[in-house]
Amino acid sequence: MTDGTTDGLDKAAVFICHCSGNISEHVDIDAVKKTLKAEGISVFDYEYLCSSQGQSLIKNKILEGNLDRVVIGSCTPSKHGTLFKKCVQETGLNRGGLEIANLREQCAWVHPDRTGATEKALSLLRAKLKRLENIEPLEEIKVDIAQQALVIGGGIAGITAALNLADNGISTFLVEKDSSIGGQMAKIGKIFSPDKLAEECAMCSLSPLMNEVAAHPKISLLTWTEIESLSGSAGNFMVRLKKKPRYVKDSCTACGRCSRVCPVPVEDEFNCGYMDKKAISLRFSQSVPKIYCIDPDYCLQLNGEACGKCATACKTGAIDFSQKEEIIELNVGAVIVATGFEEYDVSQKPQYGYGIFENVLTQMELARIMGINGPTKGELLRISDFSKLSNAPKSATCTSGCESSSDHSSDNSSGAETPKRIVMIQCVGSRDEKEGGNRYCSRYCCMAALKHASLIKKKYPETEITICYIDVRAFGFYENYYRAVQETGVNFVRGRPAEVIEKPDKSLVVRVEDTLNQKIRELPADLVVLSAAMVPSPGTRKIASVLNLSQDESGFIKERHSKLKPVDSSLDGIFVCGTAQSPKDVTDAIAQAGLAAVRARAFITDSPKSLDNEIAAINQLLCTRCGECLKCPFNALSLNESGRVVLDPLICTGCGYCTELCKDGAVQVAGFTKSQLKAEIEGVLEEGDMLGFVNSGIASLTCDNIGNSVLTYPSNVKLIKVPTTLVVGRDLVLHAFKHGASSVLFVEDPPDSPRAEVIYPLTTSHFKKLKEELGDSGSRIYFKKTYVPNTKGLAGTFTSLAREGEMIK
Amino acid sequence: MKAIESIPDRKLLLFKSCMVGQEYPGVETATRYVFDRLGVDYCINDEQSCCTGIGHYTDVFEGLTTTAIAARNFAVARKCGYPNITCLCSTCYAINKEACELLNTNTEVRDKVNSIFIEKGFDDLVYEKGDMNPRTNFYHAVEILLSKVGKIQEEKKFDFSGIRAAAHHACHYYKVKYLDVVGNPENPQLIDTIAEACGASPVRWYEDRTLTCGMGFSQLHLNKSTSLQVTKTKLDSLQRAGVELMIHMCPNCHIQYDRYQPVIEKEFGVEYDMVHMNIAQFVALSLGADPYKVCGFQTHSVPLEGFLEKTGII
Repeated sequence: MTDGTTDGLDKAAVFICHCSGNISEHVDIDAVKKTLKAEGISVFDYEYLCSSQGQSLIKNKILEGNLDRVVIGSCTPSKHGTLFKKCVQETGLNRGGLEIANLREQCAWVHPDRTGATEKALSLLRAKLKRLENIEPLEEIKVDIAQQALVIGGGIAGITAALNLADNGISTFLVEKDSSIGGQMAKIGKIFSPDKLAEECAMCSLSPLMNEVAAHPKISLLTWTEIESLSGSAGNFMVRLKKKPRYVKDSCTACGRCSRVCPVPVEDEFNCGYMDKKAISLRFSQSVPKIYCIDPDYCLQLNGEACGKCATACKTGAIDFSQKEEIIELNVGAVIVATGFEEYDVSQKPQYGYGIFENVLTQMELARIMGINGPTKGELLRISDFSKLSNAPKSATCTSGCESSSDHSSDNSSGAETPKRIVMIQCVGSRDEKEGGNRYCSRYCCMAALKHASLIKKKYPETEITICYIDVRAFGFYENYYRAVQETGVNFVRGRPAEVIEKPDKSLVVRVEDTLNQKIRELPADLVVLSAAMVPSPGTRKIASVLNLSQDESGFIKERHSKLKPVDSSLDGIFVCGTAQSPKDVTDAIAQAGLAAVRARAFITDSPKSLDNEIAAINQLLCTRCGECLKCPFNALSLNESGRVVLDPLICTGCGYCTELCKDGAVQVAGFTKSQLKAEIEGVLEEGDMLGFVNSGIASLTCDNIGNSVLTYPSNVKLIKVPTTLVVGRDLVLHAFKHGASSVLFVEDPPDSPRAEVIYPLTTSHFKKLKEELGDSGSRIYFKKTYVPNTKGLAGTFTSLAREGEMIK
Repeated sequence: MKAIESIPDRKLLLFKSCMVGQEYPGVETATRYVFDRLGVDYCINDEQSCCTGIGHYTDVFEGLTTTAIAARNFAVARKCGYPNITCLCSTCYAINKEACELLNTNTEVRDKVNSIFIEKGFDDLVYEKGDMNPRTNFYHAVEILLSKVGKIQEEKKFDFSGIRAAAHHACHYYKVKYLDVVGNPENPQLIDTIAEACGASPVRWYEDRTLTCGMGFSQLHLNKSTSLQVTKTKLDSLQRAGVELMIHMCPNCHIQYDRYQPVIEKEFGVEYDMVHMNIAQFVALSLGADPYKVCGFQTHSVPLEGFLEKTGII
């Protein structure tokens, strides 16, 4: 191994790949070999260096010649870089001693002229050799990952994620703010099934999963618990939780005696605010854990009055008024956020009368009313009639205490009417560009409306149902379900209603323009159901801010890439699924939760994690602790207790912004230090060349893609890969001009990912500043943002800049 | 959305309205009274002309003339150092705002308008792109009142507790420029909020709340029965909602309801219990202004005496 002080290239070797003619047909490999050999450098070539024989050749030569530095001339390092890295490391060579010159995508394939291509190949190899003259070994950075995961939110997405993690052997904490898991799905009576064209019992699917969560040896369930804070970084998060007191011990058998004797009726948030719950209750009868919970706001005993009836009634002595709030601290390797949605506040559309007229409700409330464990025990009633009934003093039974009372129909003989005409209004708060609305489609509401229409038609065939829609979006197999519902005689009116009016008898009229025949219609209704948009739940908003995750403009947690990384949040080690990420239905939420679990498991089990070592490195001898570098946009740099600047290797993306900020040169990106880049510049440049500094991400892929697209550009275009163009300071540009560059082009990634969104504006302002600083020479530097398909445009820029250079020459 | 914090109280040109001046001069005097009491810095400039809105919407003035006149009025505002044009009439507000957008974005129109000015030797009227900002130089007087709602509440001498009032926001304020409304354009609450500060109990939502007054400029004259039918529909809804006071922000609506309520009562054989006034008149009353000398109620068609007596003002 080298100690970094070795001078000269006596222990260096160059390996050139023919790539079965891909390289050798355009580059005169023999000429290259001859030239380099004349300079005293060992050169080897092979048909396919990436083959196992090719790799053996490299390994053997390294061991035979006791080589400490290797240059491989082959295809782009993004293709076989990892393979070659592994290959040389197997011989004990530090990976800092390996350089790969791209002789295919950026040479052979883009320069049809054999002489030009050969000259360029030589310069590329020389540049890499030059870079190795002062070899700087890269340190392995490894971190241990905490071997447990945290899932936030106990809805269907969180439950699925937790079960998947646990089934794959990961110890998982599932945290839920309510007293039971189940989330929104527990509120929905039925879920639709596109293949069977039928509605299935939601609880029958959900309940077994909830019980599995409670019974799973690898899952620790923490209900009635909220996240206070999260610190640390990927792989080692410290999470602080606040577990609220239930005032009921785990010895509760859920017999329900306490609730029957409790004298305080309270609003039931689970049942859309109906007063059918007591101050001690289960959230719903199938709650998990099945332990009662006291509402401290309403309990008489907890508010200083002598009551204690529940404690007297309890046979197991489970009531404990002395319980206190608990703070729990966890160390987890990965976090899955599944904090869900809430319904859009439809009272923001007063024209629809929600909160003003009793018989206007939302789809979720309709689901509750039709739910067998809902306020009417599944019977569809006019709300105005029902609320009259529920105001009457009720017997001491509650939803949770009367699981067996399914023979309920006789209760409501006192004048409560089943609505005969129901109008549903779609897209309330969705597809709405007005202030207070949401532009997006909420995805679930067309199907929810169809499902409810179908259920009502089955149970009450005489009911007249009209759905006012903008478009019915029954995607995929749901179209079959839509057809089936149409056949049941549900009416569809294409138009967004203007207003809902209440008549003195509490019936309603919906004013709408049928846009298919341009007629204004007044639809009479006994019940109006609003399909409210899905918006991020307060929990989702809170967690996004506690965890500092990127959100979209509506507040949903933003995934890193909508196609390729749909469950990765903007922070490493934190994943997102379900409706916390975007509006979706149960089916999609479950599918996404499974992926989130797989991603989180992969993250955790890759321990100790080797980190990308091309990140910032601080030279403490040069550092003056001025604090400039703490402006790091990712907060990767901080001051430790002794005032030293330290780097969090898990957060640093290696963008190099700090290298620009540091006036003392104390921060450099490993693998892209000033001396390495200077050496490469010296090696690669000839008089009149155009030099491009290329971001190693999308920009670099685009450059390779020019070669794949059989496009060409002149061979005096030389490209140097950099983590981002932020590492290219004034001195490097001047160095390039000094060594013959006619012009310098910065090729940058577009602001298309959360990381690039942060970096891109920095690169443009960095470029602008540089241009000003350079004075006259500033006119010779250029900037280009590039997208992968934009090969023609980029090749065109290369060509025109190179031609200008030739003219100067 | 317009942020309430961004509404200025300095350098306001109180833009005179021909409908206000002709029909309800008390709206202007009441606004001035309230502005003075609230310490708003404004001026009235006699060089300002009509916005042409009435003429424009009855097809008398075409767009270019309207824009040229707007450009002239903008120059008046800038020259006197009061560039924040604050309108008493929602039509003036929409016309000026629209003209400003047009002058800023349509080079052809701007050049034509300027060439007319130059040809006639009015070089000082020439409008350069960006001279005015359509979002930050144009306000309706009701927005200024809303921004001072706390002060109104503090200064009020007379409390209208228990008055069942209904707001009628003007289409040309919240429908024409709906992206630039303070609050939710589907449910504007400017008048309601101010009226509440004066102690009234606004009916926050009533049937047909967003229905137009029915005036429709030329429609009132060309399709009178339709026009009055629309007005009647809304009056019926308000009657059902038990409203006793309808509060306006636009002289056009004000005319339609106040002048035509007696006509509708006669033609349709109905009776209504409500009276009408502008929000500035209501605030002025609340601050202790004289109902006749300041608010000019003697020019109203639906007599306010009953209302004023009931509330104990006279």
